[in-house]
Amino acid sequence: MILEELAFLALASVAVATAIASLLVRELVHTILWIAIFFVDLSAIYFLLDAPFLGVLQLGVYAGAVTILLLFGIMTTRKRIFSREAATGIGAVPFALAVVTFIFLVAAVGEFPQSSSPITVYDPAALSANLFNVNGPWLLLLGLIMLAAVGGAIYLVREGRE
Amino acid sequence: MTDLSEVGFLGLSGGLLAIGLFGILTRRNFILLLIAIEIAMNAAILNFVYFAAFSSGAPGLTGQSIAVVLIGFAATEVAVGLGIVLALNRVKGTINVAYATELKL
Repeated sequence: MILEELAFLALASVAVATAIASLLVRELVHTILWIAIFFVDLSAIYFLLDAPFLGVLQLGVYAGAVTILLLFGIMTTRKRIFSREAATGIGAVPFALAVVTFIFLVAAVGEFPQSSSPITVYDPAALSANLFNVNGPWLLLLGLIMLAAVGGAIYLVREGRE
Repeated sequence: MTDLSEVGFLGLSGGLLAIGLFGILTRRNFILLLIAIEIAMNAAILNFVYFAAFSSGAPGLTGQSIAVVLIGFAATEVAVGLGIVLALNRVKGTINVAYATELKL
């Protein structure tokens, strides 16, 4: 019990630290490294919550595909990959807004009934039945949106737009 | 199995949402903006997974299914976002979001 709480505390602090670091470091490649650690860390949290399928999906889609896609984005848009960004500063109003949002959300936590321990047992057959039968329309919508996104991305990067 | 505190999880997802919001409001670089949006979306997905773990039967599985769909949506959004980044870089030679309005037809 105590071991899992300690693991969660460690993972949560790493998640917050890497999320902040990814937005504050000035070299974009370091940003990608921090965000990759963030994604792997969140996948570990999903494993802790008894959702191994989502953990593996997070590793494959986020830590794998999205990270590589962002790296390609950096490689194709700059002359020198390790060039530094201009410092943009923190900004008082956005910082205050973020703090207010955080306090508001944490204050709302008390509204939920307190529960003790996870009760969903991981069952791949039940999860796939739920995903493809009950939530089939959402999956279909996701497929259609991905198809539209492919068309949109090709339209955006096509030649002769200058 | 585990006895994880609700305040910790919801505090973590609230904190991540706040960090993402801060990044969306302050960063001018398009790729950093995409990363900030991803952090905020991951906070939402974490909430779905958390509440799925504490619900029995169909609601719990529905939470995980919605998280699967959301991960797909987030990956799609990054792909389209990077398409905009590439187009902006070719047209304006920069990936500053302030120039993104000049991509209009």
